[in-house]
Amino acid sequence: MKYLAKQIIWPLAITAVIIAAVVCAIAFRPAPEPKIEVSPGVVHDIKSYVRLCSVDIYTEVPVLDTINDKVIFGIQKQSGNISFDIEGLRADTVGDTVRVVLPREIVEIYESTEPNSWEVVDTKNISTLGFLKSSRLTAEEENMVKRNIKTRSLRRLNEDGTIKRARAEAAENLRSLLEKVYRKPVVVSDK
Amino acid sequence: MKKHIIPFLLGAIMTLVASCGKQDAEPKKDPTAIRTEIYQELKSVDKLVFASMSITKTAKLEDSEWYKVGKRIAVYSYDSHLRAYVDLSELQPDDLAFDDDTKSVRLTLPPIRTEVTGRDMEMHKEYENIGLLRSEIDSKERAAMKEQANSSFRSEVEENPRFRDKLRATAERKARSYFETLFAENGYTAIVEFKKP
Repeated sequence: MKYLAKQIIWPLAITAVIIAAVVCAIAFRPAPEPKIEVSPGVVHDIKSYVRLCSVDIYTEVPVLDTINDKVIFGIQKQSGNISFDIEGLRADTVGDTVRVVLPREIVEIYESTEPNSWEVVDTKNISTLGFLKSSRLTAEEENMVKRNIKTRSLRRLNEDGTIKRARAEAAENLRSLLEKVYRKPVVVSDK
Repeated sequence: MKKHIIPFLLGAIMTLVASCGKQDAEPKKDPTAIRTEIYQELKSVDKLVFASMSITKTAKLEDSEWYKVGKRIAVYSYDSHLRAYVDLSELQPDDLAFDDDTKSVRLTLPPIRTEVTGRDMEMHKEYENIGLLRSEIDSKERAAMKEQANSSFRSEVEENPRFRDKLRATAERKARSYFETLFAENGYTAIVEFKKP
């Protein structure tokens, strides 16, 4: 028995302890940061047009949304602008006055390119036994959240009078530009 | 002595209970508290925008270690946008010179400027290979990928003039053609020039 303990049990126990220590060291060591590689930028599209821009927007919004029982809270910095396509603008001369109608506004809202413009604070699963399920949003779910943010921001710009202000300023800027070109009084109507 | 101890203890207990329920008149502000209000800044501008450019950035995340079973690779892309414009508030009365005899006009526009307007909110999943025992890519990791791609985009645009030059050239062509057409409708031949930046 003594021989068995000396020759087999002790070496086996020591080996088991060493293996357990190695497994623990690997399992509990801080996970290394995933490696991220970025490829050089590629020009995807160039567009030419004539747009009169009257307002530039910078916003920081808290984002709280629920998609498929997953809640996300984050903070987003947005940049945007309100402009008017004036390329195909029709000018009617009535007597000595030129009359034009201000076209519909084009509202562009983007995520800002300032550092940390999309900060995810937390995500959680609120379904039944949600604490046992994944709280990770898929890329598609996150894109749905982003689309909702855009819709809400557009609604807010309408409700807080920003669009109205942009239209009024654009009408004034357009009048000033066209009066220089036509050398006649210009009336810009905002229908 | 015992007579005095009992009221003293009762008083002490009451004071303790009262102080526990007491609320601060002014709650202390946590400096790390999360902002829940919207901050908005509006800037009135008078810009005539002639061109825009979309630049695609692609980021790859790889999290594969020898002791982990299964791969964890994700590739995402998104577009950032630049635009080229002239600031009409810089246009001076002398910048427009009409010659009614020859029916021509010389227009000297402010220089074409370029600026980054922003980046797409959404990210496109180009590729993903997540092993059975590995966790899905989460929102924080996607945000980190976008952040790294964004800082690379910013340095590319700042250090490499090829994007801005290409955009500026497109905008100059468009501005010339727009004003030539506009003045032609009025019976004038326009010569469009740009001031040096």
